[in-house]
Order: sequence, then C-alpha cells, then structure tokens
Amino acid sequence: MTENKPKIVCFSCKFGWGYLTDEAILSKQIENWVPIICTGKIDTTHIMTAFKQGADGVLILACPEGDCHYQDGNFEAKKRVHLLGELLKSMGIEKGRIRIEFGTDPEGKRIPQIIKEMSQDLAKLGSSKTSTLAAKKPAKEMIKVKGGK
Amino acid sequence: MWKTEAGAVAHAETAVKQCLPPCQIKCPINEDIQRTNVLISLLPDETDAAREGILQIGDYLYEKNPLFNICGYICGICELECNYNKKGGAIRRRLLKRFLSDVYTEHLKERDELEINRDKENVAVVGGGPGGLMCAYHLSKKGYRVTVIEATERLGGALWLVPDYRLPKDILQTTLENLVRIVGVDVRYNTRLGTGKLTLEKLKSEGYKAVFLGTGLPYPRVLTFEGKLVEGQDLSGVMYGHTYLYEVSHNNITGQYFKGKKVIVTGGGNVAFDVGRSARRQGADVTVVCLEREDKDHRDGIPADEEEIRGAWEEGIRIVYSRGVNEIDGQNGKFKGIHCPSCVSVFDKTGFNPKFDTTDCIDLSGDVLIITVGQAPDRPLLEKENLLDERGRIAIDHLTLQSLNKPWVFIGGDVRRVGFMIEAMGEGMEAAESIDRYLRGVDMKSGRRRDYEGYEIPVRRDYKPEPEVLWIPPENRMHFQMFETGLTLREAIDEAKRCVTCGPCVSCKACVSIGFQKSLSPVEVDVTRCSGCGHCVYVCNYYSAHLVNNDGKITSATDMFKCKSCGMCVVACPSQARKMVDDDTVERINKVCESLA
Repeated sequence: MTENKPKIVCFSCKFGWGYLTDEAILSKQIENWVPIICTGKIDTTHIMTAFKQGADGVLILACPEGDCHYQDGNFEAKKRVHLLGELLKSMGIEKGRIRIEFGTDPEGKRIPQIIKEMSQDLAKLGSSKTSTLAAKKPAKEMIKVKGGK
Repeated sequence: MWKTEAGAVAHAETAVKQCLPPCQIKCPINEDIQRTNVLISLLPDETDAAREGILQIGDYLYEKNPLFNICGYICGICELECNYNKKGGAIRRRLLKRFLSDVYTEHLKERDELEINRDKENVAVVGGGPGGLMCAYHLSKKGYRVTVIEATERLGGALWLVPDYRLPKDILQTTLENLVRIVGVDVRYNTRLGTGKLTLEKLKSEGYKAVFLGTGLPYPRVLTFEGKLVEGQDLSGVMYGHTYLYEVSHNNITGQYFKGKKVIVTGGGNVAFDVGRSARRQGADVTVVCLEREDKDHRDGIPADEEEIRGAWEEGIRIVYSRGVNEIDGQNGKFKGIHCPSCVSVFDKTGFNPKFDTTDCIDLSGDVLIITVGQAPDRPLLEKENLLDERGRIAIDHLTLQSLNKPWVFIGGDVRRVGFMIEAMGEGMEAAESIDRYLRGVDMKSGRRRDYEGYEIPVRRDYKPEPEVLWIPPENRMHFQMFETGLTLREAIDEAKRCVTCGPCVSCKACVSIGFQKSLSPVEVDVTRCSGCGHCVYVCNYYSAHLVNNDGKITSATDMFKCKSCGMCVVACPSQARKMVDDDTVERINKVCESLA
C-alpha cells in the first residue's frame, strides 16, 4: 500500500453483495473487507474502532432499500451512518469519510470500483485525523452519545 | 456460485410442538418453503448460471416431494395461509415452484436411479395416483421392495383429469415416468384389485407384507335432490364431468366437439370449473349452476378456487349461484333443460345438507348437461374386502391410516377423504411412515401427533405489492395450451425476495447451507447488565426480544424460536447486555482493523 492511498474498511451485506463468488477469492481483490450477515448488525463502535486503528474511511455496502432479509437492517444502518456522520462532523472530521451505498452486486465485481471511487474522494480530503480520535475522545463517551440517554 | 451443504439440512423436528412458517403448516407435507424461497432469491440473474442453483434447489425439494414440479402447476394451497395475504397478496409460491419445474422437469430425464439397498419386505401399493406414488417413493427410499398395482394403463390417477391448459401432459408424463425409474418401483399396469382373483388376501399370499390402498374415487357421483335420485340422467346429452374429463384426456373428445351447443354444468368445485372451461374451449356456450353462494367467505361460499372462477368469468362462462337441480327435462330421449330451485342453505350442523325453496324456481334450457357434483369410491370393493365399519365408513385409524379390520392394510388419499392432490400425497407419506413402523414392529403412534405453531408477519417499513400474474387474454385462450405465463428468472428472484421468511431459522437454515453463517448463533442476555429499557424489543422485527419480570426486576429475554440471529438487538443494547454466542463477526472486524496499523 502506498503512503497516499487512503485506507478504507468495507462492510458489505452478504444477501446483497458478492454472494455468488467464493469469499476467499473476493477477499484477495478487496482490501480490508468484512462481509457481514446484515448491515444492521454493524455497531457504531465497530466503525469507530476502524477509524481509531487508522482507517481513512468506512464504506458500508447495504442491500437495496426495502430488500433487507432481516426486514429493515439496512435502514438501521442508514440511520446510524447519518447520525455518526453528524457526530464526526462536530468533531471536525469530514462526513464523507463514512459512506453507505444501497444496491446489489451478487458477483461482487463492482466492489473494488466503488472502493476506488471513494478512495479518490478521500484523497481530495487529505490525510485523516481520525487516527488521533482515540486520544482526543474516549470511545466510551461516544457510546453514550449513541445510546441517546 | 454457492453450493448447499448436505450438513445443513432443514430439520422438521419430530417434537410434539413445532414452530413453522404458516405456509409450511398449511402444506400437508410441510415442504421447506421458506428455505427454498431464500435460495431462489439468491440465484444468479443469468439463465445459464442460475441453472446450477435451480437444480440444487430442485434436488432438495425432490428428496421429500417427487411431484413438486406438478405442484408448481396445480397446487399452491400454501398461499392461502401466507402472512403476506394481509399485506397485499400472498407470495406466489406456486409460480416459484413452476419456475423451478420448468428447468427441473427436463433434468429429471437425466437423473440417475437412486442407489438403494432394497433388503426390506415387499410392499404393494394399490393405485398409482399421487397418494400411492408418494407412499411408494418413500417406502422404496427406505429400502422396501415396492410394487404399484395400477388399474389402468398409466400412472397418475386423477391428475390426468386436470385439463392441459392448467397442467401440460408432457410435464405430467415426464414426472411420473421418471419417478418410478429414479426410485426403482415396479408397476403392474392394467391390474385392478377386485377383478379376477386379485384380492388383498391374494396380495398377502404373494408375499406382500403390507398394502397401501389409494384407489381414489373412480366413479362420478349421481345427481340427487333431497336424498332422491333426479330422473333423466340416462337421457342422451347428459354426461358426468368425470367421464367428460377422462375422455378429453384420452383424446376421445377433441376439437370443437361442442360447437354451437349450450352446455350446462352443475357443481361448484374446481372439477366443475375444469369441465366448464374445457367445454368452453371445445366451442360450447357454458353455464355453471351451483348450490353455493358467490361470497367465498360465507359458510355456503363456492368451493372452487378464486382463480378458476375468475378464469371462467373472463372466458365468458355464466355462473348461476345458489341453485340446485330438481328435475331434468327431456324430449324423445334427448336432454332439453333443467329446473333450478333456489338453494337457501348448503351446510348446517350436520354438514352438507342443502335446503331449497321450490317456490323460487328457474328453468334453464340446453343441449348438454354435465353433472359434476363429486366422485365416489368403489364401495363394493371396499365392502367385499371388509374394510368398512358397521355404518359403512372406512374403518381406519385416522392418525396412522391403518385399517382397523386388516392391520396390514393402510388406506389414504381421496378414497378416505376427498381433497387436494397434496393432501393425498401427505397421506401417502404418512402411510409410508406407518408401514415402516408396522413392519419394524415399533410403536405406531409415538411422536406423530404434532401441534404446530405459526408466526406473525415480521415488522418492516414497507410491504411490497404482489406481482401481476400474466394470463393470455381470453379471446386468445380458447385452446388447451397453458394460458398462464410463468415467471422469468428475474421475476422469480424478485418474488422470492418479497418473502419475509416469517418462520423460524431452525426449520430453514438456508443461510447456513450456503455458508453465509457458520451456525445460527443464539442471543444471550446478561441479566446483571440488562436494565430493562426495552430498546431491543423496539428494534426486534420478529417479536423475539421481549421483557420479562424476574422477581420484580424487569429484564429482556429472547424467544429462541423467533430469533433470527440478525444481531440488531445486540447493536441496539446500550448496556452491552446482549451477546451472540459463537459469532465471529466482532473477531473478523477486529482482525481487519488491526491489520490497518
């Protein structure tokens, strides 16, 4: 990986993306890829962990709206991404570093392309301040914000 | 392309209480509807690539139901109970199966015979209809040497009476032929029980240790009014629907046989509509007269399927509701017309017991009368074989289908109680289980009476409307080719995706079988952490997460039968009290995150 290439962690819904291709083959083509049974299962702490460990962006590939196998998991993810984006913004981190795409690509051929596009957008933003996040704001506080209580 | 693993077979527990999706409860053989719907929804969107998946799904269905491709044309009773009915229209399961059938039926010709070690007893199956074939199939798979005793020159029984525009003959023929070949069942054609010296005792003396009797209802029922035979059924121009369909299926009545003729059909069942719509296709002007009311929800509502009624109506068939027939008119030995008193009620506490108002009577004239008021069993045969009780009913244990008079005889299908094809098949399957238990000398009943519990429709933001079923316009439909267009691959995927999979995961396991998940991870609640806030209850779409009162402390709990292991409650929990057991998701996320540094 070159120095200026943004690091993107990609979560994808198994019912929408890449399910027709062997996961082992696809994971060679997609760096930092975590296929997940439902995007509704992605916790905000998971996303924050990625940023803390040095990710420049987090991409969530959800199934098309209205198609979730678990009814509305993709909508839950959409809400979460929106709220978390606002939170990141208030901390001076660009909202564009977290992105959710709805769609389906059974063979997973489009995934590298989508990551590349996001990568180009992130390159324009410059290097991320997210890796210093852990030092600035303890994750626990963020969980409290998320819980909304 | 994914491969379904044999290890992750959906499992219908033989427990007393069993939770299943409502469609599977309705299906007499509890077909794995949910699982196969999920698999269809994950097929590749390209015909050649999808074929491999379709064959995998077909092989899976075939294991239990070797006639599934016929169900895809004429069954679909599962749709009646689909939870989606309340939300805009049942999932079109029948068409999904027809979609599979259109690929799988051809594949049947290439399938190898099953390798079965047939070291068990000889069993005879009398009657090669759907009930008998199902029984023969399952017994043969268990290792019995099965012979089907078929009265006619072809298998299939009453399935041949279904007109070609609903079930093409080549589909039926291919399915039946290959069924007996694949599972290795012998068939003795043109061998009728009760003729010559062939009796049940004779079969026993030939070495058959048990017999399944599925002889169906081979005779038409005659027309009666208030318990008495209606005169005039011997007139020229009067025939029985059963006979008519038989002749049509044998190509003895062809072409525009009824051209310019006025045909009256009496009866309100699906068979009456098969008759009416066939006659219409043969040039007749058709009127259907039935006792029942138009409103299907009424106790006295018409029993024929809504699709049949709609089809008939589109094709220009008149339906006269709530009328019986008390007289048949003739002139010079030829049929002229009928008198139809109004029927005020069909069913009462005793069951079918129609009451009429003879002061309100209409006359209908016509050239042909086709009586389609039901079929009857071969009663003299049942009597001669001593299978009836003192009240003239079949003496049988209704759970095991074992004859009370001859314990080595098992009786099922239409001969026991008239029903749908799949009901006869269900009884054939039950009888196979009974025969196996009987010959193994184990308890006939333990664990068999099941109590099913259904599921509500899961909560979701949007429910999708049902797809439109495409029928050829009525003016282009006056032939015996299929008039209903099947689903394309894309349509099938979309329709399967519409299924909200309301049943439990243990009876499905589609995701495990194709490797989406290693196992179904149960959700555990740490009650010391749980504050009883109810976030999980709010987020759970399956009514699985719920609150319980633990000695005054309110905490959340999980109903494992309803839990789908989606993990949404785990994410929603603000106190980290919920956890999925044996789930590697967090581990995988952490591994990727660590590799970033």
